[in-house]
Amino acid sequence: MGEKTDVWQGTLALMVLRTLESMGPQHGYGLARRIEQTSGDLLQLNYGTLYPALLKLEQEGFIRSNWGVSDNNRRAKYYELTKAGQRQVKKATAILARFLTPAQEA
Amino acid sequence: MRKLRALWMRLCGLIAAGQANGDIDAELASHIDMHTEDGIRAGLSPEEARRQALIRLGGMEQTRQAYRERRGLPWLESLLRDLGYGLRRLGKHRGATAMAILSIGLGIGANATIFSMVSRFVLRPAPMGDPTTLLAIQTTHQGDRCCNEFPYPVYADLRDQAQSFSGVAAYNELIPASIGGSGEPERVWGQAVTSNFFSVAQLPMVLGRGFVEGEENAPEIVLGAALWRRRFNADPAIAGKTITLSGHAYTVIGVVSPAFHGAEQVLYTQFWVPLGNAPTLAPNLPKESDRGQHWLQVLARLKPGVTREQAAAELKTLASRFAQSNPATDKGNGFFFEQAGSLPPSVSGDTMLFLAALSAVALLVLAIAGANVANILFAQAAARQRDMAVRLALGATRARLQRQMLTESLLLGLGGGVLGVLLSLWATSALSGIRLPVPVPLDVSIGVGWRVLLYSFALSLVSGVLLGLAPAWAAARPLLANALKGEDALARPGRRFALRNLLVVAQIAMSVVLLCITGLFLRSLQSASTIDIGFRTDNMLMMSVDPSVHGYSPARTANFMIRLQERAAALPGVVSAVATDVAPLSGYGRSDGFRIPGSPDAPSSWVNTTLFMVTPGYFDTLGIPRIAGSDFGSETADGPRVGIVNQAFVEQVLGGRNPIGVQVSGAGVLYQIVGVVGNVKARTLGENTHPVLYRSLKQTVSSDPSSMGYTLLVRTGGSPASIEPAVRRQIYALDRSMAIYNEQTMDEHIRAAYFLPHLAASLFGAFGFIGLVLAAVGLFGVMSYSVSRRTREIGIRMALGAKPGTVERLVLRQGMILTLIAVALGWPAAWMLSKMASSFLYGIQPHDALTFAVVPLFLAAIALVACWIPARRAASVDPMQALRAE
Repeated sequence: MGEKTDVWQGTLALMVLRTLESMGPQHGYGLARRIEQTSGDLLQLNYGTLYPALLKLEQEGFIRSNWGVSDNNRRAKYYELTKAGQRQVKKATAILARFLTPAQEA
Repeated sequence: MRKLRALWMRLCGLIAAGQANGDIDAELASHIDMHTEDGIRAGLSPEEARRQALIRLGGMEQTRQAYRERRGLPWLESLLRDLGYGLRRLGKHRGATAMAILSIGLGIGANATIFSMVSRFVLRPAPMGDPTTLLAIQTTHQGDRCCNEFPYPVYADLRDQAQSFSGVAAYNELIPASIGGSGEPERVWGQAVTSNFFSVAQLPMVLGRGFVEGEENAPEIVLGAALWRRRFNADPAIAGKTITLSGHAYTVIGVVSPAFHGAEQVLYTQFWVPLGNAPTLAPNLPKESDRGQHWLQVLARLKPGVTREQAAAELKTLASRFAQSNPATDKGNGFFFEQAGSLPPSVSGDTMLFLAALSAVALLVLAIAGANVANILFAQAAARQRDMAVRLALGATRARLQRQMLTESLLLGLGGGVLGVLLSLWATSALSGIRLPVPVPLDVSIGVGWRVLLYSFALSLVSGVLLGLAPAWAAARPLLANALKGEDALARPGRRFALRNLLVVAQIAMSVVLLCITGLFLRSLQSASTIDIGFRTDNMLMMSVDPSVHGYSPARTANFMIRLQERAAALPGVVSAVATDVAPLSGYGRSDGFRIPGSPDAPSSWVNTTLFMVTPGYFDTLGIPRIAGSDFGSETADGPRVGIVNQAFVEQVLGGRNPIGVQVSGAGVLYQIVGVVGNVKARTLGENTHPVLYRSLKQTVSSDPSSMGYTLLVRTGGSPASIEPAVRRQIYALDRSMAIYNEQTMDEHIRAAYFLPHLAASLFGAFGFIGLVLAAVGLFGVMSYSVSRRTREIGIRMALGAKPGTVERLVLRQGMILTLIAVALGWPAAWMLSKMASSFLYGIQPHDALTFAVVPLFLAAIALVACWIPARRAASVDPMQALRAE
């Protein structure tokens, strides 16, 4: 069970980083909706699990957060990538690409 | 790095918990609001939209919980909570906590004390540079494992030919001398070393330097730090100054580090002089050219990269080469080495055995203490099962509860460890104060060092964990339904407190073993105190001098002792005074093989005989019965040698024939026997009575001087201590610079000889007493608990007509059955183990009938008392009260 959770959390973290990279600063709800859309039915995201994952990324220094105001004038906490976070996305994407490419060819 | 950073942030999160809680609440609230808005926009009613949003989030409280766990360090938080809770609980049950900590403390204290001996005598490397490559080499003969010293030529050959070593040094381990400086002259002990000794041993110096090549015969001296402080007030400019040693001038060239007092860690030597110069201080040392006299210790430093196996192989080759070139002296000889600073091989066997026995017994004490505490904890766990059941019912995991129980028992273990270390600090300082009955200076002080602390810490942890197992098991066990109803949830049908009974049986069985061993040592002490030593010890003063270290020739020494004896005998209050070389029961003595001339010269016809030099009146002064013949007194210094023998000599050497006038020979000297006296214990209390030959001091000093000095024995009319100043004045009247040592009464001297039986009896006595008390308390606890659990059953029995006497017997029987099982298990174990102790027992067999008969009875009596109190309580149960309580 632990292993499965780890994989899940690692995947979630990577999706958060990639989403933030492509879309810029986002609040938690926005991130959750976006990840749900991109992963389709593959990931049945319980929105709540996103927040510990965000906290972990913040503790590790890959993202930072600030309170801001949303499109419809609501106070929300916005997350954005740090420099370290940008490096981490590139690294992770490269590794992922290397592993996935042969599989796609086959 | 990232992990570390995250850990740090989480630690911070732990502290700033309150503020962040508000943060996540606001964030989640904003999340739900946005989601609800989206839902309303999609056409849902506001209530339904909010409900959907909450469902998709996965619950507000759950999310908050997951977030909290990620923010702080949940395990650390729960550990801190466990610790806090544990401490509060232990504080609330003060009696039980104190009992538990005291039990474990006694157990760990016993172990730490014994381990401090192991650490001191077995584990501690010598305080010399890189001890692992420094070897102490000895010679062996005819394949014996051990060991003899080196003759100088063998050392020189080894030094010049061995390729495995970067340096080989030799030294004579004990040279007496008298030293000047501040205060009265003092007799001190030192070593004579080759000039490379300090570089081979790589000794750190406080100041100055050690000897270097070319100083083989120099009148130079290196001082020990303690001597330098005591006699020279730690003079920082002492290097280069001249001091007087036994009347000779020596230049101080250095002071060695305080930790070093000889390569053998038990000897306490305080100065070092070059080996070539040693004959100045000790004229009767063997000659450096003599290949037959073994008198040197050898230290060798392995070359870098050379293994001990390679060194051993080379030594073997060298031994056979030496045997070929010097067949007369070296044939059959070999070499043996071990790391320098190990216990001397001659004593290491017995010491190891003694320490192993003590360690085993100390562990036994700890195990008994542990069983006791486990019982207390188990009883507490049983009392807490309702609490546990409630927490389980509310969703606590069993692992969580077990962790908490373990935290509590670890706290107890560590508390016991702290107490144990404190106890062992006290015990080691008390043990260090014991004086060993040997004439040479020893350092056998023990202390609590880092090894002992580490060992105690490990023991505390292990006992903490082991102790927690039973309660942890119990915590996870309760049958919820029973526990919540307030019934006993640990009791399964058909089993009644099986684990507790098991613990108490184990505890009593171990006590049987412990008490049997204790009993043996107490009996041994008792039998040692009834040993007939063969002479009177009351009203006798002894005092030693060593004129040879003051430059006296043997003839002058004899003259000095005889004049001193005459002067002392003439003092008022003195009944008689005699001089001898060694007082009996000093732990050592001169000996030679003796036989009747003319008997066949087979090795078996030489009987090992202890030799004493005495002056006339010796036997009457010591109260040794004179059985036949005459005393000394009529012989002349250079006349034919005469001797007086004891009865054992008559039986073993002369085969019981009339000894008067018979000539015997030992070490090439003929003695005519002029008298027979009673047997005495010559060297140690434990020895079998063996042959002794007394020689005339007047005739012997010149040809065979004592290297250990001479002792004046004074029999007094009144208290011996009051005569002491007068005797001292007589010595100083003859020579103002004479150093006096070993001043004591004969009773004090004999007490020192009882050292081993006393030490063993007091150590084992203490352990046995602790074990007995713990076992009795344990049995009492189990029986009390059992009675309190069965109150209702007993009430019903009594309501149905059982008499108080019947109930009392019921409880007593239960306790006594446990005791009987335990004795049946422990007794044979003790029987087998007692063999281990046999070499330390005086005058009794390891299977001493009295001990093995009395211990079980004694223990049964104690057990009876421990059960009787709960039994009385059971008998006084009021049936009405007991039944109403439900």
